[in-house]
Amino acid sequence: MAELTVVGKPVTRVDANEKVTGEAIYGYDLVLPNMLYGKTLFSTKAHARIKRISTEKAKAFPGVVAVVTGADVPWTHGESIKDKPFLAQGKVRFIGEPVAAVAAEDEDIAQAAVKLIEVEYEDLPVYVDPEEACKSGAVAIHEDFPKYRKVDFIVPGAHANIAEHFKLRTGDVAQGFKESDLVLEEKYFVPMIQHAAMEPHSAHAQFDKETGRLTIWVANDAPFRALHEIAEALGMPKEKIRFINPLQGGGFGSKGGLKVEPIAVALAFHTNGRPVRVKFNREETFISTLTRHEAVVYSKTGVKKDGTLMAREMTIYWGAGAYAEKSPTVCIRGSLPAPGPYRIPHVKVDGYAVYTNKPVAGSYRGYGIPQGAWAGEQQMDEIAKRLDMDAVEIRLKNIFVEGDISYWGEQLHAVGLKETLTKATEAIEWGNKPHQIKPGVKNGKGFACIQKPTRSPTTSAAGVMVNTKGDITVLAGTVEIGQGCNTILSQVAAEELKVPMAKVQMHPLDTDVIPYDASTTSSRSTYHMGNAVRRASIHAREQIMEAASPMLEAKTQDLDCVDGKVFLKDQPQMALTLGEVVRRKFGPEGVVRGDGSYTYEIGKDLDLETGHSDHASAFYMYATQAAEVEVDEDSGRIRILRMSAAHDVGKAINPLNCVAQIEGGVVMGIGSALHEEMVIDQTGKVRNPSFLDYHLVTSLDTPELISIIVECAEPEGPYGAKGLGEPGLAPTPAAIGNAVADALGIRIYDLPLKPENVYWAIQNKKKKDAA
Amino acid sequence: MKRTEPFEMYQPTSLKEASRLLKEKGPGGRFLAGGTDLVIAMKEKGLVPKYVVDLKRLPGLTGIHENKDGRITIGALTTMREIETSPVLTKKYPFLCQSAAEVGSIQIRNRATVGGNMSNATPSADVAPSLIALQAKTTIASAAGERTVALEEFFRGPGQNVMSTDEILTEVTIPKTSSRLVGEYIKFSPREMMDLAYVGVAVVYTLGEKEKTCEAVHIVLGAVAPTPIRAKKAEDALEGQILSEALAEKVGALAAEEAKPISDVRSSAEYRRAMVGAMTKRALLNAAVGPAKSWVERRDRRY
Repeated sequence: MAELTVVGKPVTRVDANEKVTGEAIYGYDLVLPNMLYGKTLFSTKAHARIKRISTEKAKAFPGVVAVVTGADVPWTHGESIKDKPFLAQGKVRFIGEPVAAVAAEDEDIAQAAVKLIEVEYEDLPVYVDPEEACKSGAVAIHEDFPKYRKVDFIVPGAHANIAEHFKLRTGDVAQGFKESDLVLEEKYFVPMIQHAAMEPHSAHAQFDKETGRLTIWVANDAPFRALHEIAEALGMPKEKIRFINPLQGGGFGSKGGLKVEPIAVALAFHTNGRPVRVKFNREETFISTLTRHEAVVYSKTGVKKDGTLMAREMTIYWGAGAYAEKSPTVCIRGSLPAPGPYRIPHVKVDGYAVYTNKPVAGSYRGYGIPQGAWAGEQQMDEIAKRLDMDAVEIRLKNIFVEGDISYWGEQLHAVGLKETLTKATEAIEWGNKPHQIKPGVKNGKGFACIQKPTRSPTTSAAGVMVNTKGDITVLAGTVEIGQGCNTILSQVAAEELKVPMAKVQMHPLDTDVIPYDASTTSSRSTYHMGNAVRRASIHAREQIMEAASPMLEAKTQDLDCVDGKVFLKDQPQMALTLGEVVRRKFGPEGVVRGDGSYTYEIGKDLDLETGHSDHASAFYMYATQAAEVEVDEDSGRIRILRMSAAHDVGKAINPLNCVAQIEGGVVMGIGSALHEEMVIDQTGKVRNPSFLDYHLVTSLDTPELISIIVECAEPEGPYGAKGLGEPGLAPTPAAIGNAVADALGIRIYDLPLKPENVYWAIQNKKKKDAA
Repeated sequence: MKRTEPFEMYQPTSLKEASRLLKEKGPGGRFLAGGTDLVIAMKEKGLVPKYVVDLKRLPGLTGIHENKDGRITIGALTTMREIETSPVLTKKYPFLCQSAAEVGSIQIRNRATVGGNMSNATPSADVAPSLIALQAKTTIASAAGERTVALEEFFRGPGQNVMSTDEILTEVTIPKTSSRLVGEYIKFSPREMMDLAYVGVAVVYTLGEKEKTCEAVHIVLGAVAPTPIRAKKAEDALEGQILSEALAEKVGALAAEEAKPISDVRSSAEYRRAMVGAMTKRALLNAAVGPAKSWVERRDRRY
């Protein structure tokens, strides 16, 4: 491969200036001409039949243009199970479910009118515990579940509240446990948490009666998928729908699927062509949009005395909340690798996505990996302790290495796990026991390893245009959600067309002109869209070379491209700028357009009975994170002293951006480890729907972070790249949990490790020791 | 956040005018100082005051003054940031500066005033325990004249204080203290910053000249009762004694008994009570060592 000039370099983000100066326009900022303001009435009941809704007073309120309820919009949507109405239909299933909406001349009028809508409910039994919700005798939260349209990989469970039952079957776990010298069985719990993106949710919609076109402005992370979901729900041809994506102020998975969009669309059909904006405030975002799955994880592991893993059996209840959303795929993609990145001959996993009367759970950075790792990786440490083995040693004995066949039947390649393990643990001086300096304060070290698949098979397509000035415009459907894709994709185009970064710009995202992309999720963009942009750039370059060939009177193979010029390899002074080539060939307004797309074609869905696939994922991301903590025994408060994070990214297209991704992930992971939980009472009400009582970490809570980039090249990836966005926080809580267990000699099974929980664990141990 | 409902606002330029206004308009009005509580209540929590009186044009309500007789007066409109960074207070009562530094963020502290914070009477207010431990007094003015109320007597419950509707808190005064006075404030919360106190403990005592006995002991607890409270049994147990770790532990246990915490979404009552004990002990021992020299040291001593 020729030497890389832009790829692999720590290029400054292309959107840095507009973002730090506040010039960037996010979805939440958008104001459209003649726009109406929408407000939503949310359910105050977690599970109830709607006996009556009266909207007369709201409709009569001066300044109100439209009031809509479920009766006006008889549509349902859902990515894999079509179960969610645009507005509640006959019943509500969680507190925060949209019941009615108002569009008015200003926000105050809309708010006042919403308060005038009267709803009468008849209570139904409320389920807040996923295990309870699927016990026999539990009432079906979705009576019509069997009738819902579902994608073909859905396997409903035995109980009506089980939306998906994932099964992995490898070997014979009973036999494996019999052959084991030590069998450990424990229960772990991960609570429901919030994405807490800086920008809350909003959507704008406009319906033009004359053209029959529906336009939606929303910072959705998968506009093509959202478009498909809306088209399918409304029974409208896709060509009649257009998504325009403004910048997204962070999403972390919360802005995929449809959240505010259905409300805006419902209103837009009743506003006589005027656009309507629906904007959620923070509390509304907390209760009504999306959360991360709470998970109850039962993990049973059998090992030989020498630390060889023999069998692992896991049962995971994923609390899906009131609607399926992405629960089936989180259940599948999270349960599949939950046993960890290890060679285990006998594996059995049952994952259940269970409906409850809580806010809807769906994709969240990490996509089910953190929950499995919280259980599996702590249990690995516990086993090491019981066998009197070093925690690194037991991992080294069992971790996946190049060429291993995974327990789901796929031969693995480009496995950088061992290097991440070695480097992350070395960075916190694993071999040296932590110093115990302060009385009453205990220090400890711990780490955790993960492996994460990506959504497969999927497709990304891209276009690259070169104009007569030699400016490059990239058309790509990857959404800039803050992850830096505009910089990465610009680097790829600049690399292949051999132009300076400043010559490249990204086209705004509009589904009318941008080629198809599956989604900006699953850490798939650098790999899939990176490949597509690379192919499109090469296609454009080839056309320019072709055009330049007669102009320079040389064969294309004798031409080369550097610094925005095409020239003769042996006579570099014989050169033309790219723009000049385009102008001479196509005239002063001419454009050369290259196209490219990438699909992981050999990807194969998991077998529904065994969970096996020989190509389950286009690539796998591996990571190890290690933490050193101190715990104040008098208060249970944990301080993280330092944290290392080693991630196998295949190839760092932009090391600076990789470090930022890792740091952002770790900080988010620390929050989920130490503080974050949505406190939900027995009535299904979120008790802490604000940042006052929902604690994210601040910069002062952030320890020294040591980010380590490991590059185990993926042959199919652009320049060897894999992905990085999702795994950043996946091993973090487990690493911290292991460090806390090391410090205290106490294993804590439930997240978060908030001071009170740790304190009582310490007290309980003291009592036990005394007895 | 939404826009507030329309409301009337007045900006008096003298105490007299303000007091007259209050009398005329009657109950249901609110004072506006830094606005860090009021504006949020109006924009987020649906509070619609009958009228709002902005106090920021009243003269003479700001600043920290050291009087010749050793008293320190703090104007009601003095910001938390001014208290935090005041050279006079830093020298004499570093723990008071520390308690101000615990409030919200720098942006909040640049707006929030001591008068507003006291009048709002939140049980978890960070500066209240330190000021009570220093036996601070409040000056309350109305058209009828001024009166003085010990800060310890000022609070009546969450959001409630002793002032009637035509009265304005004008200043907080710290009486002259011994040069051997030491103190400490510990705010206990899960996060390092930007958090409410789960438990706040202020301790102040004077070290005996020869024997280092603890005298004039004040132990004040925040966030564990409807108002900040003194832990008098704990104070008595330490009075006249030489501080040891064992004694600090015992005093802490007494303070824990005296606390009347509630359970809420942040924490259980039992845990708050336990933390009163642990943090009182820690505060007493820290006070004896002397003020923390840096934020890092302060953090390390807290936990």
